[in-house]
Order: sequence, then C-alpha cells, then structure tokens
Amino acid sequence: MSELLRVTDLAVSYGSVPAVDGVSLAIEPGELRVILGANGAGKTTIIKTLFGLLRPRAGQIRFEGQIDLLGLKPHQIHRLGIAWVPEGRQLWNTLTVTDNLRLGGFAEADKALVGQRIGAMFERFPRLRERQDQIAGSLSGGEQQMVAIARALISAPRLLLMDEPSLGLAPLVVRDVFNLVREINKMGIAILMVEQNARQALKVANWAYLLDTGHIVESGPADEIGGKQSVQAVFLGGHA
Amino acid sequence: MELFLQQLANGLVIGSTYAVVAIGFALAFTVLRVINFAHPDIFMVGMFAGLAAAARWPALGLLVTLLAGAAGAGLVGFALERTVIAPLRGRDVLMTLIGTLGVAIVLQNGMALIVGPDPVAYPSLLPRRFIDLGPVALTVRQIANFAICLLLLALVSFYVRATSYGRATRAIAERPDVAAAFGVNVARICQITILLASMMAGIAAVSVGMLYGSASAFVGLLYGLKAFICMLVAGNRYFEGVMVVALAIGIMEALVTGYLSSSLRDAAAFFVLIGVLYFRPNGLFGSYNA
Repeated sequence: MSELLRVTDLAVSYGSVPAVDGVSLAIEPGELRVILGANGAGKTTIIKTLFGLLRPRAGQIRFEGQIDLLGLKPHQIHRLGIAWVPEGRQLWNTLTVTDNLRLGGFAEADKALVGQRIGAMFERFPRLRERQDQIAGSLSGGEQQMVAIARALISAPRLLLMDEPSLGLAPLVVRDVFNLVREINKMGIAILMVEQNARQALKVANWAYLLDTGHIVESGPADEIGGKQSVQAVFLGGHA
Repeated sequence: MELFLQQLANGLVIGSTYAVVAIGFALAFTVLRVINFAHPDIFMVGMFAGLAAAARWPALGLLVTLLAGAAGAGLVGFALERTVIAPLRGRDVLMTLIGTLGVAIVLQNGMALIVGPDPVAYPSLLPRRFIDLGPVALTVRQIANFAICLLLLALVSFYVRATSYGRATRAIAERPDVAAAFGVNVARICQITILLASMMAGIAAVSVGMLYGSASAFVGLLYGLKAFICMLVAGNRYFEGVMVVALAIGIMEALVTGYLSSSLRDAAAFFVLIGVLYFRPNGLFGSYNA
C-alpha cells in the first residue's frame, strides 16, 4: 500500500455546529492535491484536524496505511514527516527570520543539519538572507509567505499541508507562490493544499476535491474538475 | 545629589528582586496562560527552604542555602503545575486562577502553622559591612542580592534568546498551536517553564531573606503584588521589558522613600500602574493576544 495519507468519513464540529461532515480523501507520495472551497467550507478545519489541533467527532486518519493520527499529539504528528504552512502565514512575529527557520527544525536533533538546510533556504530565497536578523513581523506579506514555506521545509517533510498560500498576497506574488508550490512538489514532497484561488490551484495540482459547506461535492483529476460546469459556476466566476 | 545616587543604588537592589519574581509571573502568564497567584508563595517556600538548610547545616554557607531555596521552590512549583495547572489546561482562565489562589492560601497558612504567624530571624550568611562605591555605600548583602538577581535575569534572557528550548518557549507564548505543529512538546516546555520560574524565585527569596534578616509566611504578598504590577506595566511581549520596568519601579520606590515619605512608597507603584494602563492598556512594551 503506497498511500501516504487517507482520511475516511471525517466529521468535525464546533460545539453543535458541524464544520466538516463525512469527508474522505487520500494522497499518495509525490502527489499534489488541492481542496477547493469558499470561505467557511471547512478547509482549515480539515488541516487542523489532520494536525491533531482539533478533535473530530467521527472518522479515521491514517498515515502510511497503519499509523492512526487521531491518537497522536501535534508534535508527534510533525515528527512523522508532516509540515504545515498555516493560513495567513502565522509566523512568530516577535522572533527573527532565522529563529523562525530554526524552530522549523526544532524536532531535528542534528542542529548542524538544520543549519545547512537554513543555508540552503537562504540560497533559494536571497531576500530572506538579507532580512535574516529582522523580526518576522516587519516583513512584507510576500516575504512572510517565503518564511512560512521555508520554515515548513526545514524539517524535510514527506507531506506538506498548505493552507491558502495565496491568501492576501499581490497578484504577482501569488504567481511566484504557485510556481514555488510546483517546485517543491517536483522535489518529491507530497502536497495537500487548500485554496480559494481555483484557477491557479488547478494549474499546479494533479487531483482536486471540491468542498462545499463541509461536504466533498466533486473530486477528480485537476484538468477534468476545471472543466465542470458546477465548478466554473461556483469557483471560477460563473461566466461559463 | 548624594541622596539621589544612594537611593538610586538602593532602588536597583530591591528592583532586581522584583524583576526576578516578575519574570516568573510573566513566564507563567505568557507560556502557560495562567495568572499564577501561588507564585509569590512559592517564593516564600523557597525562603524557608533556604532557612531550614542554613539551620541544619550552618557551615555550608550561602551557595548551599541558595540551592536549597531553588530546590524547595522548584519542587512546589513543579507539583503545582502537575496537580492544578496542567489538569485545568484548556478550561476557563478563571479556573486556573482560582486553583492557584487556593494553593497560595494553603501554602501561606500551612507555613504559618509550621513557623508561626510572626516574622522569624533569617541567618546572616554574609557580613553586615558597608562597602564604599564612590558616592554611594552599599552593604555586602545588598551587593550580593543585586549580583545574584542580575545573574538570574541574564540567564533567563540567554535561555529564551539563544537556546532551542528557549526559542520554543517564546514560540509557545506567541502561537502555541503552530509551535506544537512544528514538533514542540508544549506540555514539557510548560513544566520546564514553571520549574525555572519557581527555582529563580526561590533563589531570589533566600537572597532577600538574607538582605533584610527576616522571613515570614506572609512575605510573598508584598513581592508578588509589586512583581505583578511590573508585568502589567511592561506588558508581556518582551521579558527584558518586564526586567527594565521592575528595576525602574524599585528605583522609583527608593526615591519616593528618600524624598517624600516611606508611607507613600507602596502607593507609588499603583499610581504608575493606573497611569500606564490609562494611556497604554497593553503595557509599555506591548502584549501578546492584544
């Protein structure tokens, strides 16, 4: 069984209000899958539940076939090789860029290796090297997104969970971010991304799920999903 | 001018003690999100743990007394975290607040049962001698108290800025969920944080017991109140901000005592608190979750 992650019949509620109901999805190593949905569809809820930050009402989450994520704490889930690019970046704004990256490698015992990986990130993002001693809160939105992505890559994850990486960024920066997503995926890291920007996300993903008020209403190869009437109507502006 | 400099020095000495206690409050509040009302009484337990060690092994001197203070306070702080704070984690803030207040009452009155309600003499671990430092004169004990507290503050600053666990501690203070999702064992860091805060308080308590030559089961209230004010005035965003404010409040109290009246001393800190909160409700240096 080569599956990296499988979610089965997941249901999560906030109090008595259901946020996600009966969601099933899966991702294989090296894949890039996207969950599309509008605000409040339950995208972030799924990501937080995968990380053990929310407790589901029902359902199963398995990593590599046999590991049950529901029994684990967030820090244990991270150590399986899962990293997170949270919605709205969520950097440690009072810490320097370098300290944010170091914390990305907190679980790695070999600190020299962490140092090497931070150096490699500075090679890839020269802007971050220039700003390495600035506090993260002083960076522009685009730079902060670079830090958030670099922070997640420091642990050399096998699965990257990206929560709306394009949120609140200028259109040119959005294009950079999606190019970066594709680049990371080419390195062999599986990515499960949630997005509202359907047009861009469908260009980079190989599989898409459509989430509407807590339910998956469509799923299929990204190029097929992009052509569907319902998808065009809901997510792509409705002028099909 | 001489009075001014002398009171400045006296203020720094007592302000450094406020700073150590205040950092303990600030660590608990930012990292564990609990207003630890038992912290001043953990300080008090440290004072008596040092006293007991000094009485039992009088020959061992200052260092062992300080370590005994750290051990006694650390033990109580750790037990408090395990039995009251951790089980109430994630519940309403009011629950932990009432829980720690209950522990504070038990510690105070428990100690009063053992040692009596009146102040008792503290062993003189260092000579009562004045040392001239240019225009000001300080006792050996004052200098020792200042040096001990300053060392503790420097160690905390180093810990939170330059070590892996310290960075994780600040990461939890700002975003606990993200810290956990990046591999930080939040429960473990919380235990370490309370242990650290308590041990520091225990050391500072022995030092200040020696400084004034007395200990009391109710000594925590005075230092706790001042330290709490220091944290509110500074805001909890930067631990160093809390330290600076604590030193400033110590100096201000000494100046009020020197130039106005010692009866106004304890009121002065409250005036500062009211003034600062009126204009900067998140404190001088800002707060998390604000």
